[in-house]
Amino acid sequence: MLELKNLRCCFGDVVAVDNASLSIAPGEMVGIIGRSGSGKSSLLRLINRLYVPQQGEIFWRGQSVTALKGKELRDWRGRSAIIFQQFNLIPRLDVLTNVLLGTLATRPLLPSLFKSFPAEQRARAVMELDRLGMVDTAFKRTQNLSGGQQQRIAIARAMLQDPEILLADEPVASLDPINSEIVMQSIAALNRERNITLLINLHSVDLARRYCSRVIGMNNGKIVFDAPVEELTDQEVDRIYGATSQPCQADLAPQKELKTARPAAVPPTIRGEPQLESIA
Amino acid sequence: MSAEAALIARAEAILPGAVIIRLERRIKTALAVAAFLIVFVACCYDLGLSWDVLGGGLVKMGTILGAMWPPTSGGELPRLLLALVQTLAIAVLGTLLAALVAIPLGLAAARNIVPNPAIHFAIRRFMDLFRGIPVLVWALILVAAVGLGPIPGILAIAFSDIPRLGKLFAEALENVDARQQDSLRATGSSTSGVFRFGVVPQLLPVWLSQCLYYLEQNFRAAAVVGVVGAGGIGFELEERIRIFAFDEVAFITLMYIIVVGIVDFGSERLRAHLT
Amino acid sequence: MKDSAASTGTSSLNRVAAIESEWRQTIRKSRLQTFAWMILVSIILLGSVELSAVGKSSVDAGWIDRIASFVDRLIPDLRADALFAGRQVDGSLASWFYDLPRWLEAMRETVAMAFVGTVVGGLMALGLSFQAAANLNRNAFLRHTVRRGFDAARTIPDVILALIFAAAFSLGAVAGVLTIIITTMGSLGKLFSECMENAEMNQVDAIEGVGGNRLLQLRFGILPQLLPQILSYWLLRMEINLSVAAALGIVGAGGIGMELERAISFTEFDTYLAILILIVFCIFVIDLVSEQLRHRLIGLTQ
Ligand SMILES: Nc1ncnc2c1ncn2[C@@H]1O[C@H](COP(=O)(O)OP(=O)(O)OP(=O)(O)O)[C@@H](O)[C@H]1O
Ligand SMILES: [Mg+2]
Repeated sequence: MLELKNLRCCFGDVVAVDNASLSIAPGEMVGIIGRSGSGKSSLLRLINRLYVPQQGEIFWRGQSVTALKGKELRDWRGRSAIIFQQFNLIPRLDVLTNVLLGTLATRPLLPSLFKSFPAEQRARAVMELDRLGMVDTAFKRTQNLSGGQQQRIAIARAMLQDPEILLADEPVASLDPINSEIVMQSIAALNRERNITLLINLHSVDLARRYCSRVIGMNNGKIVFDAPVEELTDQEVDRIYGATSQPCQADLAPQKELKTARPAAVPPTIRGEPQLESIA
Repeated sequence: MSAEAALIARAEAILPGAVIIRLERRIKTALAVAAFLIVFVACCYDLGLSWDVLGGGLVKMGTILGAMWPPTSGGELPRLLLALVQTLAIAVLGTLLAALVAIPLGLAAARNIVPNPAIHFAIRRFMDLFRGIPVLVWALILVAAVGLGPIPGILAIAFSDIPRLGKLFAEALENVDARQQDSLRATGSSTSGVFRFGVVPQLLPVWLSQCLYYLEQNFRAAAVVGVVGAGGIGFELEERIRIFAFDEVAFITLMYIIVVGIVDFGSERLRAHLT
Repeated sequence: MKDSAASTGTSSLNRVAAIESEWRQTIRKSRLQTFAWMILVSIILLGSVELSAVGKSSVDAGWIDRIASFVDRLIPDLRADALFAGRQVDGSLASWFYDLPRWLEAMRETVAMAFVGTVVGGLMALGLSFQAAANLNRNAFLRHTVRRGFDAARTIPDVILALIFAAAFSLGAVAGVLTIIITTMGSLGKLFSECMENAEMNQVDAIEGVGGNRLLQLRFGILPQLLPQILSYWLLRMEINLSVAAALGIVGAGGIGMELERAISFTEFDTYLAILILIVFCIFVIDLVSEQLRHRLIGLTQ
């Protein structure tokens, strides 16, 4: 159970998150939508404590994580994995090491500094890569891989953390449609099979409708919509994106387009890529 | 078999070599690290660096640092200021001399000016050889040759900078954009006209800013050459270190650092303006 | 400007005249500026000549003779017939380089000074440069303290530092190594921290988000992306430090420079030349090796 109470976070004059309250049940898959700058990323980063809230509280399983410090804070970050839009991998390290970095929170410092990880963790990393169809790239440098491949490595890294909650910040925003589907399916599978609570920022209303059971809409730092996905009508979408105010037209256009041009079905196999069924 | 061992076995089967790191790979890195450490420790030993020496020295260093407080001019402020300005003067003249000699060398070493590869290759290698000689080494021999005073200092700075500036000048020449020359030639300009209007305007700011950078560096070099008898602030400092007048050493050093900061700042502004 | 159709012709003529006069003014201004600069530079140069007392220095009438006799003593008396004879034979190469084994030993000491100084100074620079980078250290006071420290370490002339260290650690290689450590720390620290300020922060974010502490964030978020740059600066510094180490010996801080100083004080100028050739050769070789290494490193980044 994740609970946010009156969370507020500002940078100078900009209020990134304004009085946000939420309650998410274990195992839920919740999508967050909103136009650019509405505070979606900030919300996720607050939960993971990459940002510090000026006000309000965050509870996980009844315990406050708002004031954690030092080892306890790192522990919490270990349990709440985060995936970034830009993957945030270490380009000059090989794929396997990148995945193993997910264990940093629970491992002693000295071996980690020398990139020395025990066989069991390496085995887990291999299994995660295998599940995502990425095992062939294990010894390659991440900088030479495609965006979709990199995002799957980031997912594997998050899985090595053995997280209780997964925060995904626009995981497919910089991917092409096919790779988006592969990554979205991998993430949804984690929620289904491992019962990991999932909070996912999406730039596309269509993806939110197809994958999430519940949708949260943000506008200007405030939570303006929070309901099961069935209640997300087109009028609500317009309201969330603030369709009445002119400057956001540019944001809105691609969303509409995506909605009409929804990919009919996921192609069963993609050349050189794993079978989607093996992910699911 | 435990669950853990089973997991390892399965993963090893999927991707051999990923889970159980082969001994030889570990040994290779370990050997490289060990070799480096051994060389390092051997060097320290060779130099007589031991904890005893360091400890004893640090205690004395503490006393010296203590003696530096409070810094004092020793009542010789005008003399020190004069020495500081003299040092700056040595740097200016040394840089000027170096630049004057480096211009023809740079021209001769530039591929697009001298078409004969043998000539510019020879000149470049020659400059490379001389680039390694530190300014203090030049100063020592020049003081022996022409006697004490600012002249060996100026010459030492010039000699050590001629090959460095020459190389930079040549590189700047080679980087001149040829399109402007072409368009000038197309309008029927003479060779000297092409050079005056197609090359010089591009080249001059670069050369000037390189000279200014070397002037900054030479202010430091001029203090260094003073120590072996070329006058200026280096001489004053050396004299006071020899008689353990560390409060005055601290004063001169602080004064010097501030003036270097000012010169650097001014020269940086000028260089930013030039480019 | 009036916009009636009749005055169009005159107004365009006026405009041409205006542009021309403006252009003239610009030219005049830039000529004036150049002139002012030339005057300023001349004043500086004249002042330099006057202040440095070049005219009054020891260059007297007999200076040509002096230089001639100096050059005469600088050039070794080699004899073609005895070039490869033993050390006892006058005019042989061996008698010119009569103390070669000792010089080589001193040269080894110089190389060791440069190596140890570069390694330790570089490590200190690496450890401190995180503190001097604005994106990695938000504490402005600490950041500026470290930066000013780097500046000071770079600015104090190395020879002066060596003399001060020699006062504490006695003359010898230890004073030289400590000097090289300090100056290397200053210059590399500045360069490293500038690199770090240009580093991509999202890798640091990733390690922080995973739950890695500060050290791990630097180890995995910063170090891998900057390693090629850092190493190539480090190698470049090694080249520079080799000539610094050679020079420091002249004020008694160990290594080959002490042999140079000895040769000068015994006025054995031909010996000085021999040692100088040895130094230049060693620096040249190490430069070549290090240049190769640096090019390989730069190749790695692309
Ligand atoms: N580290 C930061 N420093 C300063 N301002 C920030 C920072 N992070 C976010 N902001 C500001 O907070 C507001 C919300 O940003 P946030 O990144 O949360 O929006 P978002 O909904 O994720 O947008 P996008 O869809 O473009 O990623 C923005 O105005 C942004 O400029
Ligand atoms: Mg965002």
